[in-house]
Amino acid sequence: MNSIFNDPGFWHRLQFGFTIIYHYLFPQLTMGLALFIVYWKWRALRTGDEKYNQAVRFWAKIFGLNFAVGVVTGIPMEFQFGTNWADFSKYAGGVIGQTLAMEGMFAFFLESAFVGALIWGEKRLGPRGHFAAAIAVALGSQISGYFILVTNSFMQHPVGYQIEANGSLGIASMSAYLLNPWAFVQFAHNQLAAVVTGSFVVAAIGAFYALRGVHPVQAKLYLRAGTLVGLIASLLVAFPTGDAQAKMVGHHQPITLAAMEGKFEGGEMAGVALIGQPNVAAQRLDNPIEVPGALSFLAYGHFGSFVHGLNDFPKDQWPDNLELLYYSFHIMITLGTLFIGVMGLATLQNWRGRLESSRLLLWVLILAFPYPYIANTLGWMTAELGRQPWLIYGLFHTRDGYSKVVSNGDAIFTLIGFTGLYFVIGLLFLGLAGREIGKGPDEESTAVVDQREAVLV
Amino acid sequence: MIATWYAVVSFMLIIYIVLDGRNFGAGMLQWFVAKTPEERRQVITAIGPLWTWHEVWLLGFGGTLMAIFPRLMASAFAGYYLALFLILWCLILRGVSLEVGGHINDRLWQAYWGFNFVLSNFLLAILFGAAAGNVARGVPVDAQGDFSMAFFTNFNVRGHVGLLDWYTVSIAILAVVMLAAHGATYLTLKTEGLVHDRSEQLARYLWIAVSPLSLAVLVESRIVRPDLPGQAWSNPFWWLGFFVTVVSIIALVSGLAGRRERRAFLASNFLIVGLLATGAAAIFPVMLHSTLAPENSLTAYSVASSPSTLRLAIFWWPIGFALAVFYFIFISRRYAGKVSVQRDTQGFY
Repeated sequence: MNSIFNDPGFWHRLQFGFTIIYHYLFPQLTMGLALFIVYWKWRALRTGDEKYNQAVRFWAKIFGLNFAVGVVTGIPMEFQFGTNWADFSKYAGGVIGQTLAMEGMFAFFLESAFVGALIWGEKRLGPRGHFAAAIAVALGSQISGYFILVTNSFMQHPVGYQIEANGSLGIASMSAYLLNPWAFVQFAHNQLAAVVTGSFVVAAIGAFYALRGVHPVQAKLYLRAGTLVGLIASLLVAFPTGDAQAKMVGHHQPITLAAMEGKFEGGEMAGVALIGQPNVAAQRLDNPIEVPGALSFLAYGHFGSFVHGLNDFPKDQWPDNLELLYYSFHIMITLGTLFIGVMGLATLQNWRGRLESSRLLLWVLILAFPYPYIANTLGWMTAELGRQPWLIYGLFHTRDGYSKVVSNGDAIFTLIGFTGLYFVIGLLFLGLAGREIGKGPDEESTAVVDQREAVLV
Repeated sequence: MIATWYAVVSFMLIIYIVLDGRNFGAGMLQWFVAKTPEERRQVITAIGPLWTWHEVWLLGFGGTLMAIFPRLMASAFAGYYLALFLILWCLILRGVSLEVGGHINDRLWQAYWGFNFVLSNFLLAILFGAAAGNVARGVPVDAQGDFSMAFFTNFNVRGHVGLLDWYTVSIAILAVVMLAAHGATYLTLKTEGLVHDRSEQLARYLWIAVSPLSLAVLVESRIVRPDLPGQAWSNPFWWLGFFVTVVSIIALVSGLAGRRERRAFLASNFLIVGLLATGAAAIFPVMLHSTLAPENSLTAYSVASSPSTLRLAIFWWPIGFALAVFYFIFISRRYAGKVSVQRDTQGFY
């Protein structure tokens, strides 16, 4: 009997996919929100206006909870390279282990040494020390993003490696490995997408307070910063970074590009399908509405450029879940376009001074905050499904990478365990973050009293 | 070069155990030294601001192990599959219960998460202790360098062993008592009032209990691995670890007797470093001893990355470590002295 229960590779992939998608819901907010916290702390130092400190204190609470969940769900990720992907680690550990270790030592150490100071230490550190802690945490989160993206970029576009005598991979050029062109593009695209998440969350909470008619000063602050940063980041995610990412895929992974677009037959003047359903059995896109020539232009710069179709490649090199890949990519693009529209409208209304009174738009901002999370997730699904059937593109198959000594039952057991544990963590996170948001920023000026207390203790 | 990297990787794991060990210890003692919500809050405040910093050393270790000894990392983690996930889940439970407990000022809420916090720290000490026992005893590594292991088989230490047997269980017990003593010494240094007094007393009892347990484990280790002492005595690192251990014991005794809290806590740290260092030096160069056939054992030389990869890692590792030392100094200064529930607050209530 040939069912998925008999295919250990499926369960290892599902577990890694589930745990990494869940984990990444938290760092994307950490990376985006850290920049807002640094900005407000800086404004507080410059202007001495207490409203900025109140904003920092409020967001530091959300940040702290978010960061803690990010840490505890992140630790299993590194260990799963060994537990579930032992054969991959044996093959490529000498390469990707370097950046995983660097991420630990250069990014996590910095981040976590100062995150306690950011959240618990305002009174111990004083304003300047607190600002420095905010910078350290923001910097650490960005460095961490870079190293993990270098690791992923190696899997997408391996560079700087050599094959050692025992058949495993080693590093031939550290600079080539660390300065992988793929990593630059991916870093820019991904970090901006994290800022989109951060700004939608900030704007949504501002909109929530504005609609409720509470914390008017803070609401205005969040709305202004959230919508403006949100507009800029949404634009930059699409162009130039998203565009560059697509060109990179078209150049190095033409099969992936064809699969993302559901293009079975290659040709010149290739179009972009606005809608349509890939029909893998019949090898065509059903009910398409296409913009002719757009794909040729976007991927290769000319409307007449030749774009490969899937049929130009052997079937065993096709990504193994075409439908999921196609829809992930297309829904991400659609959402990204909507983000620009929503944030553009909100920025315009804000500029005209009418955002706080546009109830409909405020509602849209509240309802919109989950969608950047979805778009980020779909972007990663596009990247990782598009890489299949390879674990390291062109070098190492996914089916060769999982741990052969781990039984299916063990893998299913731990997957179920993670599902239950993460469900509870999700409930706790939403409940407690919701509680803090409900209570809102503490607007009484407590700074003077606190300083006296600090002297006493 | 491989010997140096072995020392570096072991050192990172030892730092993790010493740093997070104080949280395991303080955490599992929370309900024994602190009775009222305010007292329990003191314990949380002693752990809260720094636990993520301590926990990420495990990631630093894991990444370095993967880069330097990829084959070992792959075999060991896949072989310890379920045990490792238990550790990971307990780490998740520990972190979550620590963070969410402080969000709501309610007696039942805090008691619920407090219980989970105490339990997960206790389990972590047991699991890390059993893991150390497994490294010392060996695991059933086959000719391909892989193994997979049940939780227990016949509780014997040879052949097809399980995760738990009489030897690994006794090391787990030693780990619980020693980390509890370590945590109590930490709480003595960081807290005031009744929590301080109870911790101080408990630290003495626990450290006294550590000595017979350590002797028992030493004797047992002779029986389980008769081949080790010969290797150990020719290894200078073993003598270094031995020296650190002896000095730490003297400092610890004088610190506890003379109520010098800083000295006692420093000595407690170095004692654990010294003991683990002697262990790491004693088993070198074998990283995973095979209980099936000695020739299957994974040595540092057989599992290391290529020399060129190891050379490259020499360029960044010292920089990362120097930065870590810098953060460490910053933190030690900023968080020196007793904690204050009023000042060191997350500000939830």
